[in-house]
Amino acid sequence: MAFAPMGPEASFFEVLDRHRESLLAALRRGGQEPPSGGSRVASSSEVLVSIENIIQDIITSLARNEAPAFTIDNRSSWENIKFEDSVGLQMVSHCTTRKIKSDSPKSVKKFALILKILSMIYKLVQSNTYATKRDIYYTDSQLFGNQTVVDNIINDISCMLKVSRRSLHILSTSKGLIAGNLRYIEEDGTKVNCTCGATAVAVPSNIQGIRNLVTDAKFVLIVEKDATFQRLLDDNFCNKLSPCIMITGKGVPDLNTRLLVKKLWDTFHVPVFTLVDADPHGIEIMCIYKYGSMSMSFEAHHLTVPAIRWLGLLPSDLKRLNVPKDSLIPLTNRDQMKLDSILRRPYVTCQPFWRKEMEIMADSKMKAEIQALTFLSSDYLSRVYLPNKLKFGGWI
Amino acid sequence: MRALARGVLWGGGNDAFSSGRLRKLRRLPSAGGHPEAEPDAASEILRFLIIHWKCDIDVSKGALLEGQLEISIEGLHSKHQANALHCVTTIASAGSLFGGMVLKKFLKEIQSILPGISAKLTWTSEEGSYPQDMTGVTPFQMTFEVDEKPRTLMTDCLVIKHFLRKIIMVHPKIRFNFSIKVNGILSTEIFGVENEPTLNLGNGIALVVDSQHYVSRPNFGTIESHCSRIHPVLGHPVILFIPEDVAGMDLLGELILTPAAALCPSPKVSSNQLNRIYSVSIFLYGPLGLPLILSTWEQPMTTFFKDTSSLIDWKKYHLCMVPNLDLNLDRDLVLPDVSYRAESSEGDQSHNMDPQGQTLLLFLFVDFHSAFPVQQMEIWGVYTLLTAHLNAILVESHSVVQGCIQFTVDQVLEQHHQAAKAQQKLQASLSVAVNSIMSILTGSTRSSFRKMCLQTLQAADTQEFGTKLHKVFREITQHQFLHHCSCEVKQQLTLEKKDSAQGTEDVPDNSSRELLADTNEQAENKRLKRGSLRMEEIRALHSARAPSPSEAAPRRPEATAAPLTPSGRAAFKAHGRALAPGRVSRGSRLEDVLWLQEVSNLSEWLSPSPGP
Repeated sequence: MAFAPMGPEASFFEVLDRHRESLLAALRRGGQEPPSGGSRVASSSEVLVSIENIIQDIITSLARNEAPAFTIDNRSSWENIKFEDSVGLQMVSHCTTRKIKSDSPKSVKKFALILKILSMIYKLVQSNTYATKRDIYYTDSQLFGNQTVVDNIINDISCMLKVSRRSLHILSTSKGLIAGNLRYIEEDGTKVNCTCGATAVAVPSNIQGIRNLVTDAKFVLIVEKDATFQRLLDDNFCNKLSPCIMITGKGVPDLNTRLLVKKLWDTFHVPVFTLVDADPHGIEIMCIYKYGSMSMSFEAHHLTVPAIRWLGLLPSDLKRLNVPKDSLIPLTNRDQMKLDSILRRPYVTCQPFWRKEMEIMADSKMKAEIQALTFLSSDYLSRVYLPNKLKFGGWI
Repeated sequence: MRALARGVLWGGGNDAFSSGRLRKLRRLPSAGGHPEAEPDAASEILRFLIIHWKCDIDVSKGALLEGQLEISIEGLHSKHQANALHCVTTIASAGSLFGGMVLKKFLKEIQSILPGISAKLTWTSEEGSYPQDMTGVTPFQMTFEVDEKPRTLMTDCLVIKHFLRKIIMVHPKIRFNFSIKVNGILSTEIFGVENEPTLNLGNGIALVVDSQHYVSRPNFGTIESHCSRIHPVLGHPVILFIPEDVAGMDLLGELILTPAAALCPSPKVSSNQLNRIYSVSIFLYGPLGLPLILSTWEQPMTTFFKDTSSLIDWKKYHLCMVPNLDLNLDRDLVLPDVSYRAESSEGDQSHNMDPQGQTLLLFLFVDFHSAFPVQQMEIWGVYTLLTAHLNAILVESHSVVQGCIQFTVDQVLEQHHQAAKAQQKLQASLSVAVNSIMSILTGSTRSSFRKMCLQTLQAADTQEFGTKLHKVFREITQHQFLHHCSCEVKQQLTLEKKDSAQGTEDVPDNSSRELLADTNEQAENKRLKRGSLRMEEIRALHSARAPSPSEAAPRRPEATAAPLTPSGRAAFKAHGRALAPGRVSRGSRLEDVLWLQEVSNLSEWLSPSPGP
């Protein structure tokens, strides 16, 4: 391996290595079954035929003097989502659907927009070109109204055709950053080396296309916020705890960031940890990486990493480290509602330690950002907190 | 012949028309040999009868009057007056009308109003017995006689018919059989709207919503694009102010004006028809839904309504309205009390007399509200006051009247504006859908797919395919949108109801000012709701502007029934006198048009008769 050994001695990673072994053992026990249901990577011809079949159905309905309609799975309904410990949140096989009718005043516009985007996808696939969701929106912003409309329709189409968004030749704009012991070659042949320096590397937009991934990393650290990520970069964290990989989605992660984390896990089975604020929002972001989101549950198998562990900032750490109260922030009503919502989610049931931490937060009615640790010292996070946590297994 | 005691008004028997005449009210010609210009007695009696009828059965205000009345006029050559007809008018009920009508009281009260009709009355009493039971369920009949010129009779008949048509528009369960027999020639007409869709307005009246009563069918244009009903929007009630110089009664309540507006025909899918109002028809109703026949009804343009902007600011809709004196009558239509037509403004020809445009129907209901039980004579007095002084009252209340009517019309037009927007949205969406399909079809390299699509729509090429695709899409979606008119849904619901008023819809009592965003039934119900202003709130709104209603209409200390005050009688007389000159002066053109259209089968008796 060509990486310069700048990190701690090998004994530092003993607990991590044991953790990795246990994860691998769990994988072996669970088997490596290919994901069932959900979306898949489809070839261009398959996508084109799928779209043509839809058009054919519409024409047939019209010929029978029936108003055509799209039948779309209710992606955002909890009744259509099940939880599996090995996968996370995913759609049930026979889920409820809704009809987007062409003869209803309320839905005729959406019906037309779905056809519009289908025709655009058809052209992209035919010409083997790609566009982002933003590009789609700007082709006729007045028609679409807002970006969210486009995003939802694209997800609906992906779910309806049971193909990944990538197969539709629609890219999501990457906003994540990655740094550390990782190198790869992008689809166009560009060689990328994420070795820590003063700057990080942007998460590529074509995760499926990257190849030749190489890493020695003992762990992957997902950082919730860009501010914390930059702080760790400044503190030369990647070198101090080398070999490791650091990644951030800058808040709620985009699809490519999630795909990359998933790819790193699937390829290397390196332990993945999250470093999030001790607040409901941070916990929710962590759950997205680990178990997936409701809206993208139809693609859960490609996006979730159930092996993720919560490294920090734990609510119990606040008391343990005597973080002063003026560094804490009271939970708002919105925080409380979100916390209650998370506690009701099915995956919390199999995470008793997570539940306990959330209950500590609920009881104290206080939250804290990672930056609260700076009350001890400005580099406490990278110099003391994270190394201790990683060395002694302080994750849950 | 049954002899009857004075004061009894009883037909007796089980037959629909009793042969026992109770009282003859003979009207003698004036000394000058010319009949006095008399108000239409039949209409006045009918009006009073309905007032009495309503008050008699008014257990719950929402109950609709139900029954059948027979009105017959028989004219023979007068023995007392040259070139005149001796007309005997009979008003009878077919079946029972009242449960506990006190005939003596009724007779006394109607006698008090009859002096306004004629200078002389002759009462006839006959010996005999009469049923002891005067409080049972009774059909009734009354008759009066008058000598008058044929032309006067013609006009009277037209007035009666106009009156009957207007009554049944708000009292849909009353049926009138009107017959005229002159020198042996009989003409009969039935006025009734049984089983027609209505909208219950509360207070015991329901508005007939079938469009054909208001606009003749040739103006409907494409039938599929229009709804067969009007969809009235009820405005907020406002208190009317009575000018101090108006000699009138001491009212123990307030006059409340409630407007209702609707476009007719009501387009199911409004596109080009939006805001192209061709004409305005205004219908005036007084208390209990009785048609208001103004003292200057034949010359409405000298009144408040002469200024077309009195009620509505037409410039807001880029319209210019002028009074319409050129009445294009249809036999089955309800004649409006006031009519305007749109005229081109500023040289713009687009609005000029487009007969395919819509008519804005405006119903003005003036009612009387009191905290005390209202007596028949009080209602009669209010009616008389309105008949004589509606112009002055509306002028005095101009700002509030214009405000509430403007708001109501705004709502009506806004609904159709929203409907037009929905239609535009549909058209735009269909274009997007068709273009998208065409894009995929023309871009496909799979011949089997293209061939299959063309064959399915039986198109020879992609161009024809596109045309057919657009057509079939439009037909399917328009079909659904056209039948998305809320009244279609309501019609089904109404038929399923066990409501005794078949086809009647109730105006919900809740308040809402929401405009109809789409044409679903829920939005339809919302826009038909009354304004939320209760009496106290209405008074509060008016308190800053005017003296309190108690000052404007001084209350009597006792809520006892009282005959019309002399001023009331004077007002009634003035009404009667004013009517005649107008009637005579309106003269040739209009009356001839009315007569020829309404009584076409009686043309023979306009010529000299062969004699008795």
